[in-house]
Amino acid sequence: MAPLRLVPARSRRPGPVLVHLVSAVTAPLGGDDLELRVRVGPGAALELRGVAATLALPGRHPGRSRTLVHVDLDEGASLAYLPEPTVVTARACHEAVFRARMAEDARLRTREILVLGRVNERSGSLDTTVDVRRNGPVLKQTTRIGTPEVDESPAGLAGRRVLGTELLCWGDDLPEAVSGDWWSLVPLARGGSLTTALADDAVTVERALDAALARHPGSARPSDSISCSIPSDRSHR
Amino acid sequence: MNLAALMLADSRFPGGGHVHSGGLEEAVARRAVTDEPSLRSFLVGRLRTAGALSAVFASAACRGRYAELDAELDARTPSPAQRDASRVQGRGIARAARKAWPSPALAELLGVTPRPHHPVIVGVLVGDPFEAAQVVAYHAVTGPATGAIRLLGLDPFGVNAVLARLAPDIDEVARMAADHADTPPEDLPAPSAPGLDLLAEAHDRHRHHHDRHHSEEVRLFVS
Repeated sequence: MAPLRLVPARSRRPGPVLVHLVSAVTAPLGGDDLELRVRVGPGAALELRGVAATLALPGRHPGRSRTLVHVDLDEGASLAYLPEPTVVTARACHEAVFRARMAEDARLRTREILVLGRVNERSGSLDTTVDVRRNGPVLKQTTRIGTPEVDESPAGLAGRRVLGTELLCWGDDLPEAVSGDWWSLVPLARGGSLTTALADDAVTVERALDAALARHPGSARPSDSISCSIPSDRSHR
Repeated sequence: MNLAALMLADSRFPGGGHVHSGGLEEAVARRAVTDEPSLRSFLVGRLRTAGALSAVFASAACRGRYAELDAELDARTPSPAQRDASRVQGRGIARAARKAWPSPALAELLGVTPRPHHPVIVGVLVGDPFEAAQVVAYHAVTGPATGAIRLLGLDPFGVNAVLARLAPDIDEVARMAADHADTPPEDLPAPSAPGLDLLAEAHDRHRHHHDRHHSEEVRLFVS
């Protein structure tokens, strides 16, 4: 039995094909090794959405659990990969990898929200890697959760319980970073943008990611394009 | 340890590193660092994240492949303020190194980019993967530690002892990095530092805000 069920939404609406990711079993448990491979063909548009939070749990047997999501995006393809938050429960030992290989003009949006333990629970350990290449490296980073001296450090997670990141390789990026006290939207060195947000609850992190998304020129809805053009008009004066 | 490594680690080395606090100034402004214990927490977190990343790239730079290392380190440094701080310090070291240690390897690196990343040029100049990693791992904590003395008026002897007690951690990071000296650039580890990324961007915002509006909030350090 497959641990993950892919459920296409029955809809004739225009736009990307929507597929929901539904966990068919309790996973990941210690010892599990889950792999999802996705290929989006030339010009195709796919939205992969989670329906419930993922709980990383320890298994009955010792050993870590692993999840690999590998994505290939062909010419003109686009993918929004939007799983629900991952909650790292006490004694869990989980490794997650999201790997994407993109054609030059493909588009990718991926959001990850990590919650350190359930309420009043210490976090287990999680290594999560984002590794995206498009004619060279776009973003590679591994976030390690569950090392108290780093989780508590202002350099690491600053004692916050929830970390959100969102990668946008989706059209134009802002020329400069925008940021608030515990969030930022930054242009990457070779195209693409990354939002990072830290907070004590998932709702605040989601709001910060949404606010950053609204300010990202390539991701803004067509109705927003008028307001996006104002700053460039000003620069001509 | 070879002399180039000792000179690069010396705070009197004319590479311009003394104007960088590595996010400490912003952490102090938010009262996230106020005393020796919170400074130690900041330094340990910095060493295990940004310090480990720098150490890995310093080790790998002892083996060449500079253009790939440059691109791969960019991809592991999402914050533009941190990419800039790394390249500004790299260029500062390059200025001194052209006179002090001219070599074909240095010429090759500066042919790839006149503004190399800080750990990459340190790796080229030191040449030994473990020692190069030690130097940049030490840099990752000594700048902020010195900054804490200036910004918080902490006892210099106390801060010095905090640094000294990090020796086993620094060596552990350097050993891990040296083990990756022969790892292909794209497979090198990529430890993230969300807190530092956010502190760096906020520091940059406040610094430029001050330049434009002459606000009361003065920043002593460039990063």
